Amino acid sequence: MISLYRPGNSPLHRLPAGPKLLVVMAAALGISLTPPSPALLAGAAVAVTGAYLLAGLGAAEPARQAWRLRWLVLVVAVSQVFFLPALTVVANVVRVVVVILLANLITLTTPTGLLVDAIERALTPLRPLGVNPSRVALMLSMTITTIPVIAGFAAQIREAQRARGVPVAPLAFAVPLLIMTMKHADDLADALTARGID
Amino acid sequence: MDRRGLDTRDVTRIVAFAAILAVLGLPGAIPIGGSVPITAQTLGVMLAGAVLGAWRGAAAVVLFLALVLAGLPLLSGGRGGAGVFVGPSAGYLFGWILGAFVVGLVVRLGGRRPVWWRTAVGCFLGGALVVYAIGIPVQSMVTGLGLRETAVTSAAFLPGDLLKTVAATVVTMALWRAYPRAFGNPTRVRA
Repeated sequence: MISLYRPGNSPLHRLPAGPKLLVVMAAALGISLTPPSPALLAGAAVAVTGAYLLAGLGAAEPARQAWRLRWLVLVVAVSQVFFLPALTVVANVVRVVVVILLANLITLTTPTGLLVDAIERALTPLRPLGVNPSRVALMLSMTITTIPVIAGFAAQIREAQRARGVPVAPLAFAVPLLIMTMKHADDLADALTARGID
Repeated sequence: MDRRGLDTRDVTRIVAFAAILAVLGLPGAIPIGGSVPITAQTLGVMLAGAVLGAWRGAAAVVLFLALVLAGLPLLSGGRGGAGVFVGPSAGYLFGWILGAFVVGLVVRLGGRRPVWWRTAVGCFLGGALVVYAIGIPVQSMVTGLGLRETAVTSAAFLPGDLLKTVAATVVTMALWRAYPRAFGNPTRVRA
């Protein structure tokens, strides 16, 4: 599974995953919820670009991330042009892009494994409610290993249909995929039970 | 509810459905209308609720979203990471959780077997209306466009969601006939 993480050794990479997630998400929400003003947005854009430089991702990386959002930008802009003045539309679009770029910093500088650990720790207070953090962590890693298996089932079904000359129909695809997946889930459960893991 | 007694079989089924949600995002989204791409993943949300039931269906969605937050590009179009949880479609993602729950609640009303009309109603109510009810206000807040205007642009998804409701109903009923075990312990499912 290819993660969005970029390896590095910057101050941002070295921050612990949990606090980084909290602080950056809070900052992103803060920008998102304040009414857009040109000064604030320009400041936020400069700060986010600075953070990308600090993370050693280079000045071109924010531009590359923004380019990936081009469809989103287009759609947000087009849907607003009819309702709002042009300057407000620009401010709204810039704000959305800045907020997403900021939040993406977490993903770019934190390995998936550390974020999974942070999620596990964040769940510890929910233990009295019947949430078992270590079981959740096990389920997260099980899902990561199961995705390629299910993707393999999907490819198998597509190939079988192609071999029979049937055009790939969504319904004739979904039902066998679900049956194979649920059978696989039951086999996995038997294997876990046989090894004494519950 | 069967929330307390989460046995190994429940765990692996939740895991398997979270993986199905990921696989449904693979073929690529079609970016038409609204700032939220049309995706087969909402079909997966409906199926998760219908097949696994309310609690386990919602758990599968939570598991999937946790992996997206952890940085895996599992949303349609290869999107993922923390950014999507503050972007315009964030509310729809959170809406999937309650959506799957409501689908399960209606389809498996009181632990009953799925029937086609309740499946159709449940999938539309949970998979479309509940998702809109959470998604549209959040989108309006993030993009700065008024609530009513956002709702108007989101109406572009209604035809797609109706199609997905039909597909989810047909698939659920076909799965019920072909492999009723998928819906849980057969002795616990009342006819």
